[in-house]
Amino acid sequence: MFAGLVVGLAAHYMAYGQRSATPLPDWSGVWQMVGPTVFDSTTVEPPNGRAGEPGVRERPPYTDEWEARYRKNIEGIRSGVFPDPVNTCGTPHGFPRVMNLPDVYEFVVRPEQVWILGENGPNILRIYTDGRKHPAPEDLWPTYTGDSVGHWEGDTLVFDTIGTKGARDSDVIVDRTGLVLSDQLHTVTRMRKIDEMTIEAQMVLEDSRALKSPWRITKRYRKLPADTRVFDYSCAENNRNPVTSSGRTLTLGPDGKPVDKVVD
Amino acid sequence: MKAKAWLALFAVIVISGVAPAMAHHAATMFDTTKVIEIKGTVKELQWTNPHIWIQIFVEKADGAREEWSIEGGGPNSLSRQGWRPTTFKPGEVVTLRVNPMRDGSTAGLFVGAKFSNATTLGRWDPQP
Repeated sequence: MFAGLVVGLAAHYMAYGQRSATPLPDWSGVWQMVGPTVFDSTTVEPPNGRAGEPGVRERPPYTDEWEARYRKNIEGIRSGVFPDPVNTCGTPHGFPRVMNLPDVYEFVVRPEQVWILGENGPNILRIYTDGRKHPAPEDLWPTYTGDSVGHWEGDTLVFDTIGTKGARDSDVIVDRTGLVLSDQLHTVTRMRKIDEMTIEAQMVLEDSRALKSPWRITKRYRKLPADTRVFDYSCAENNRNPVTSSGRTLTLGPDGKPVDKVVD
Repeated sequence: MKAKAWLALFAVIVISGVAPAMAHHAATMFDTTKVIEIKGTVKELQWTNPHIWIQIFVEKADGAREEWSIEGGGPNSLSRQGWRPTTFKPGEVVTLRVNPMRDGSTAGLFVGAKFSNATTLGRWDPQP
C-alpha cells in the first residue's frame, strides 16, 4: 500500500512536470499593460508615436523583404486603407499581440497551465506547464495564438511559443503600426513578478523568414486596485465601424448608414 | 469643414501622446491634430462595446437640428476612469470637444465635455 502511494505521488508530480518544491507565485489581481500599444517602445519613431497614427513605425530587425512589406502597411495606414484585422470582431489578436493589449489582464497560475486572459478581444493564451512538448509537426497547424509550453524556473515562467499564423492570411498584425511577422515565428518568453505591483515579460522573438536577428521586447503590466472588475468585451455588440472592400474603416450614423463622404 | 456659427475651431495642435486609446480600430478617420467644439442636446449615450457613442443634436446656424455621432473609448476602460451609463443624460445640454472627421461629416472622436454645471470630463485643456 505504501509503495502504491509512492508510485501514485510520483505519477502525480510527473503529470505536472518537473515541479520543484518552490510554491507557484501569486499573480492574482487585475493588471494593465504599461504604456501604449506600440509593440517595441524602444525603437518607435517618433519617440511618443502611437500605433495607428500615420507614419509611426518601429525598427524590428527585418529582412529587406519584410521591411518592404512593413513600409507598404505603413503607407496603407497613412492613406486610411490598412484596417486593424480585429475590426471584424471575429478573430483573436493572436500571439505575440496578445501580450500587447489595451484594457486589462488576468494571469491565472495553475499547476498544469498558466492562462493569460485579456479583457480586450477577449483573448486567451494557454501555456501548458504540465511537462508536455509542442505537438509533432504533423499535429501542429498554424493558429492565431499558436502553441505555448513552459516551465517554472523558481518564480519565473519560461515559455516557448510556435505555430502562429503570422501574416499568412493577412488577418494578424502585431500592432497598429502595421507590424507583421511570419508563420516561422519562435518566441521564448520569461515572465515574472519583479515587484508586488509589476509583472514583466521579456520576449525573444526569432523568425527565420521575417527577421535577420532575434528581436528582444520587454512588456510590463501594472497591478490595478483590488476592487477592479473585468467586463465583457463584446465587440459585435454595436460595431459602428465596418471596413469596406478597399480597406477603409467607415463610421456609421444612428441610422446605420455611413456618415463618411467617401464610401468605397 | 464647413464654417458654422456653432462650430468653433479653437486648437489645431494636439499632443499626440494623449490621444485616447481606441481598443477596436485605429482613429484614422478622425483628424487628431484638430479639436472642434460643438454644443447641443444629448439624445442618448450608447454604452456599448467596442465603443461608446454620444448621440447629440446640434442646432445649425439656420436653426435646423443636426444629429452628430461622437465616438469614445470602450465602456470597460471608461468605467475605470469614472464614466457610467448615466454620464450623459438624454435632454442634457453639453459642450463637447472632439477630433473631427477628416471629411467634415457629422461625427467625431471624443476629447472632452463640459456640462451645464461647469464640471468637465476628459481633456478640457488647453483652454480655447
